[in-house]
Amino acid sequence: MASSSTTDTNSVPVLPAKEEKAIGIWQDSFGRLMKNRMAVLSIIIVLIMFFFAIFGPFLTPYDFLKQDLSIRSQPPSSEHWLGTDYLGRDVLSRVIYGARTATLVSLLVVVLSSFIGIVVGSISGYFGGKIDFFLMWFTDLNMAFPNLVLGVVLAVSLRPPLSRWMEQMYLSTANPGFRQSSLLDLALVVTVIVLVAWCPYARVLRSQVMAVRNHNYVLAARALGLSTFTIVVKYIIPNAIGPVIVQMSAGMGSAMLTESAFSFLGIGINPPIPSWGNMINESLRQWTSAPHLLAAPALVLGLMTVSFSFLGDGLNDALNPRQWKG
Amino acid sequence: MARYIFWRLMRWIPGVIFLLFIVYALMFFGGGDPIQIMFSKEATDAFLPGNPRYEAVKEQLGLNRPFLVQFGDYLWKVMRGDFGISLNDSRPVAKSLFAALPITVSIALSATAIIAIVGIPLGVIAALNQNRWPDNLILSSALFFWGIPTFVAAPLLMMLFCWQFPILPVPRGWAGVFTVNAIIPLTVASIRPMALVIRQARSAVLDVLSEDYIRTARAKGLPEWVTIIKHALRPVLTPVITQMGVVMTNLLAGSLLLEIVFGIPGIGRLIRDGILNNDYSMLLGCTLVILALVTLTNLLVDISYPLLDPRLKQAQRGDV
Repeated sequence: MASSSTTDTNSVPVLPAKEEKAIGIWQDSFGRLMKNRMAVLSIIIVLIMFFFAIFGPFLTPYDFLKQDLSIRSQPPSSEHWLGTDYLGRDVLSRVIYGARTATLVSLLVVVLSSFIGIVVGSISGYFGGKIDFFLMWFTDLNMAFPNLVLGVVLAVSLRPPLSRWMEQMYLSTANPGFRQSSLLDLALVVTVIVLVAWCPYARVLRSQVMAVRNHNYVLAARALGLSTFTIVVKYIIPNAIGPVIVQMSAGMGSAMLTESAFSFLGIGINPPIPSWGNMINESLRQWTSAPHLLAAPALVLGLMTVSFSFLGDGLNDALNPRQWKG
Repeated sequence: MARYIFWRLMRWIPGVIFLLFIVYALMFFGGGDPIQIMFSKEATDAFLPGNPRYEAVKEQLGLNRPFLVQFGDYLWKVMRGDFGISLNDSRPVAKSLFAALPITVSIALSATAIIAIVGIPLGVIAALNQNRWPDNLILSSALFFWGIPTFVAAPLLMMLFCWQFPILPVPRGWAGVFTVNAIIPLTVASIRPMALVIRQARSAVLDVLSEDYIRTARAKGLPEWVTIIKHALRPVLTPVITQMGVVMTNLLAGSLLLEIVFGIPGIGRLIRDGILNNDYSMLLGCTLVILALVTLTNLLVDISYPLLDPRLKQAQRGDV
């Protein structure tokens, strides 16, 4: 999507000829990104969330699991800045811990799905032919249908085998980690979102690889007798990665959104581990009597997803100045 | 035209069957034992594997046949409108689906109408004011609303208009599109996918405005609004309609969450109940209906192309 900051459309060559120039491109893009005020604001908000996600346990005023039934559903006060929930837990601590859940899930999802996308996209783009046809048919199909629905199917049907496997691992290794339901939730949610979310990465990288693969330096590498693997990994992917980074920022936001949607539906992160999605779901029951319970996670989640949306847009303008995406 | 439609069908039908196969296989191999789920409320050992009563039910429901036979049987029955029975209350899934479908579809269709009526003019306004404040305002608000999840927007709007400024009744349930209760749900449903239409309409108008015939129209002294409405708008519709498949996908995903927030008895509620009760046959039916709705939209989009753009009508006579 274009915004006011993309007026210089032809100033930057897409492919660097030398190593030094590659740095120039990144600096140039960075400068363009910094000129976009909304993007800078989003970066600050995202960094603040990362800060809370990493140092959350040292910052929360209370234990996010500590219940106190004598102070159930209290409005905000000086002891509990965001009030308490229906079990008397401190909402601020839970919202901060929710940042941890959201960040962990979305980082894992982005790393894994972009990895799968890069592998599939480079195979598809480099080799073409029947493999390409099938892979693109499949990603088309995946992208045409709502991720949420496919995700529900995956989450519901992968849970029993995964929990059986974890129980078996517990019996054979006696490692109590395999009995933690929060670990099961996390593994399940990440797997499901990765399975439905890798397709856009594959498509983006494929079109880039197809643009790059016929350049002379690839031909030269082939003439030198380098293996296909080396050519793809060393020469093609580094020159095709730009749009994937844009996609990663957008993917981070949508992974966060999908995680909270799954937790909202009760198939993602389950209580008592706080996720903004399951906090919204829990507080919908009593939103008239205790609206702050609903407002706190909803506003924070909205702020985060909006920030990622603006950041993705800013990155797109900064890294793909020629692209006039509609 | 028939050939064109045939090829479009060939593009979608194998895909839908393939997806259905994956979904069925996931439920079949991954999900729990349907008979144990069906009788989970009866605390007896009679319905554990190996027990004669268990085997009898299995035989009766045809669950001891091979996987592919069961899948074929399911497809065949679905084509005749039989979606099997719910594992929760043993009622036909088709009955619940046909009760819920009109509600979800009416939400989706009216939201589509709102998106078109509001979104296209906004996109046109943005394009006509390219890089000036109306453009920036429209684009950033579109981006803003695109970022907000449905299940965040829905409760926040509800709190704002039913509690903070109580001008609307609390929406609960569904009594039709043209009721006061539908205002908040429809707003929430349409506001997020509207961003797609606004962007598409904007870039389409920008493309069209640089065409020669627009310059001609302006040069011969037509008023600007006649130029826009008579000459620029029609070619803009094609790319916007192209986007309708994506819009529908987003609308359906959004309406699932929406129905849960507002207690609307549509497909979303069925999916929610299916998740809570481990009701695999219900989930399968709902997934199938949603796949069908998305496919139908995409087919309609494909078919309406040549009707809107005469250049494509020529193209499809030769090859697809």
